[in-house]
Amino acid sequence: MYKFILPFRYMFKKRISYLALLTVVLCVFIVVVVMTVMAGLVEDFKQKNHSFVGDCVLGTESLVGFGYYEDFMRELASREFVQSVTPVIRSYGLINVKGSRQSRGVEIIGIEPVGYSRTTGFGEDVYYHRRDVANVFVPSYNPELPGCVPGIDLVLERNSRGEYSPPDSPWRLGLAISSFPLTPKGALSKAGLGLVNTRTFYYSDHSRSGLATIDSSAVFLPFDESQKLCGMDRPIKRTSFLYIKFQEGTGLSEGCGKVRSMWSKYVSAGSGRPAGYLLETVAVQSWKQNRRSFIAAMEKEQTIMTMMFILVGITTVFIVFVVFYMIVSHKSKDIGIFKSVGASGGDILQIYSIFAFFVGFLGSVFGSLFGWLFLRYINDIEAWLYGRFGFQLWDRSIYAIGEIPNRLESGLLLVIMASAIFACLLGAYLPSRKGSKLRPVQTLQVNQL
Amino acid sequence: MLLIILSMMFSIFLTWFIGLLPVISIRYILIRRPLSKKSSKLLVCVFWAINLLIFSALGTKSRTHIALYVVGLVSYFIYRTDRSMKVLLSDIFFVICFWKSLNHLSLFLWLRYLRKKKIVLLGITAVTLSCALLIVVSSLFNGFISAFERSAVEAIGDIVIYPPVEVSGYSQLIERLEQSKLVEGATAALSSEGLVHLSKGNVRAVSVWGIEPERHNRVTGFKQSLIRQKSSESKVSFEYGGVEKGMGAIVGIGVVQKPDEKTDEYDFKAVRNIIGSDVVLTTGSVSFQNGDDNKTPEIRRRTVKFTVTDVIFTGVYDLDKNIIYLPIKRLQGLLYPDDKEPAADQIQIKLAGNVKDDAAMKEVSNIWASFAKEELGWSQLQIKQAVIVTSKQMQSKFVAEIRKQMGILLLIFGVVSSSVVVLIFCIFYMIVESRQRDVAVIKSFGGSGFSLAFVFVWLGGIVGIIGAGLGMLLAYIIVKNFNIIEGWLSAVFGFKLWKSSVYMFSRIPTDVDWHSAGMIAFFSILAAAAGALLPAIVAARSQPVDILRYE
Repeated sequence: MYKFILPFRYMFKKRISYLALLTVVLCVFIVVVVMTVMAGLVEDFKQKNHSFVGDCVLGTESLVGFGYYEDFMRELASREFVQSVTPVIRSYGLINVKGSRQSRGVEIIGIEPVGYSRTTGFGEDVYYHRRDVANVFVPSYNPELPGCVPGIDLVLERNSRGEYSPPDSPWRLGLAISSFPLTPKGALSKAGLGLVNTRTFYYSDHSRSGLATIDSSAVFLPFDESQKLCGMDRPIKRTSFLYIKFQEGTGLSEGCGKVRSMWSKYVSAGSGRPAGYLLETVAVQSWKQNRRSFIAAMEKEQTIMTMMFILVGITTVFIVFVVFYMIVSHKSKDIGIFKSVGASGGDILQIYSIFAFFVGFLGSVFGSLFGWLFLRYINDIEAWLYGRFGFQLWDRSIYAIGEIPNRLESGLLLVIMASAIFACLLGAYLPSRKGSKLRPVQTLQVNQL
Repeated sequence: MLLIILSMMFSIFLTWFIGLLPVISIRYILIRRPLSKKSSKLLVCVFWAINLLIFSALGTKSRTHIALYVVGLVSYFIYRTDRSMKVLLSDIFFVICFWKSLNHLSLFLWLRYLRKKKIVLLGITAVTLSCALLIVVSSLFNGFISAFERSAVEAIGDIVIYPPVEVSGYSQLIERLEQSKLVEGATAALSSEGLVHLSKGNVRAVSVWGIEPERHNRVTGFKQSLIRQKSSESKVSFEYGGVEKGMGAIVGIGVVQKPDEKTDEYDFKAVRNIIGSDVVLTTGSVSFQNGDDNKTPEIRRRTVKFTVTDVIFTGVYDLDKNIIYLPIKRLQGLLYPDDKEPAADQIQIKLAGNVKDDAAMKEVSNIWASFAKEELGWSQLQIKQAVIVTSKQMQSKFVAEIRKQMGILLLIFGVVSSSVVVLIFCIFYMIVESRQRDVAVIKSFGGSGFSLAFVFVWLGGIVGIIGAGLGMLLAYIIVKNFNIIEGWLSAVFGFKLWKSSVYMFSRIPTDVDWHSAGMIAFFSILAAAAGALLPAIVAARSQPVDILRYE
């Protein structure tokens, strides 16, 4: 029993232990806040990427694309584990606002709106046709005109709060989009004709995916039109990618594995077909693999931040060490008495380890509590700071970040708390070991009393 | 670093020498007695104003002139004191340098505690780590910002004029600009977007820039980044071998090759082999025709074959990945085939050395206004529609954001590092407690509580100085060897920590930001001294009779 009573007593009677507690509280508070915000940003970014491509991506980076996709799509759609599948064309083009001489490079994304929104989060990203995605390419001001869905930053200004002010309905805006038509061999088609594959599309809606590169430089077009623009409609119909969404309960690696094996069978069965060589450039990837280059950078920053906190956390270990060293030095007589009545070195080690555990546990509980409180009001605090001093954590006109993420993840919290407790046990180990090795004859001799 | 320290020491010496020389002369040579309150105040005010004028003439950048206020206070003390000059100077010397605490005993105690009390090493280690971390973070951010600002200057010069529409006859504007003493060189550029077909199925969206190569080099120094012509002594050009005049192109290294996924490095041998090969560029040539809605742009596909005559590697990822340089006349022929006069959509200007941006902007604006009025016949409204900006101004919003992020990160780490104060407090409290007999003996021999306190505060300061010094050294080693360390980490963990596609530049900045380092070191020393303050007060207040009694 004394093993628990004594640590409690030291905890509340020895004021110096408050310092160790305070340091742990401060460190846990900062780490909880920073890592929650960081983890929230990374998770949010991952979610947006997942939402953009679905669960699985089958396709090629080559702008030539690949053919015979329709049969494979049908085969996929008939499988139980697949919820939906949709073809997507991704290519480059030039865009000119009607009446302007300036052109700029954009990414053309050709989609079938219904299938695409079933597979990805596109249906939620558009503004005017959220409940009517089938007509997303139909301009409300003239349904006869061919429509397009530019990324939101191409048509609207983002203010300093990261908000846009879209009009009640899209205005009449013609965008002349030109592309480079390529033959299945990758050569330029129509090279001698002089006219680029250009067509004017009209702004029918805009998309806000939350991915800066897409929102600022991509234009969604109807799939058939994109095929024509990019020369992928002949001699065989081609696409760049198939985006696939799995049924609920299908694991990501399991689903991708099934698609991969289906695809390899499909390719070997169809070898020898015209332009069949294009099928060999196709890879099957999970959404995580497909978006790796984008996500990895943020994950790496999170890792670097964690490493930095570990480095700074060494100071906490030092503080706990010094505090325990002082307490053990002061309580050497207690140790002598305990040992003289039969306590072993291991018992003394246990007492101080339990004490260190208390410091770590209480520190991490209070730190987490303050962190949770701070996070709960972090957006209000930021709004107040912005209203009063014009200060924002991130300038929303530059970064595509909405509210500061503040959802406390229990897993992360447990890791931080466990780390804090471990740091305390580590810091307390050497002084405790020193205390456990003290002999009563050393501590209870008369000149020590 | 040495130069910075020497210049700081010199400026401190200059301030106090100029500030106190007349004061001491008046008090001890001319009048030779303490002055009245009134006269002292009057003289302080007069000399404060004179000093202000002198230091302004010497080019002081201080806005607060805080040093002159301190000089004024010391001057008042000197006017009023009745001490002899010898006593006064010795007092000042001790006050400034050692606060009377540097005597053999103090020195002995400091060395003894530093040597014998191993726990002090913990304090030094903590200060070292915190200081090094903060310096590394701040150097990395500031290095990034400098590289970012430099990249713009190296790409477009110091100042750019963006006229509202393309300017024809720009050579006269360039001549006028180059006649100004403030301008070292100027060049015209024309920009557009295009698609480049590199090989089978390999198409990229690119930024196409029409330039006059030699002039562009004078403004931006882009020859240094050219792989083939870098070491050549001849003028920069689009010519190479038997390539027809006007048919050469300089392409960004990232356009023709992707950096290695693992090492993030380009295969320069393969890149050199690309020189001499053909690329096909498509860009939209827009001409207007009257249609249903007044003006219908007819976009004609302008597909032209160019030969790669050189490859540019600036180290700035976005630029390397997207850029294609063409002769300006050739690009103009592509974009605006109907225009007869040479046209440019921007004028890039390099300023002469040591020219202030404000003065240069004024001069450039005036030259532009007179050119547009006299040569182009533009109205005031049209003239004012032109945007004239420094390359730094163009990036100022983004730079301010990076600085803010740096500030937030330093604040976070600073707050966590402030626990060093607690650590030093604990260590010193322990030392004071365990060395109570030393304290009592010193006091019983006549040592004052004040000087005893200062022994401990100074010891805290020394811990801070050693820690900060080691921290600066550690940070210097880390920052200078960032790229090597990163290479090791990549080799060990198999992933590239710093990728040019993420962090814009192919190399990690390796310049230590000494200004921030100095500030961080100063606050580290202050924190260490502050941590030792409370234990020092405890030591100062202890009574020998309580400590040295037999029981």
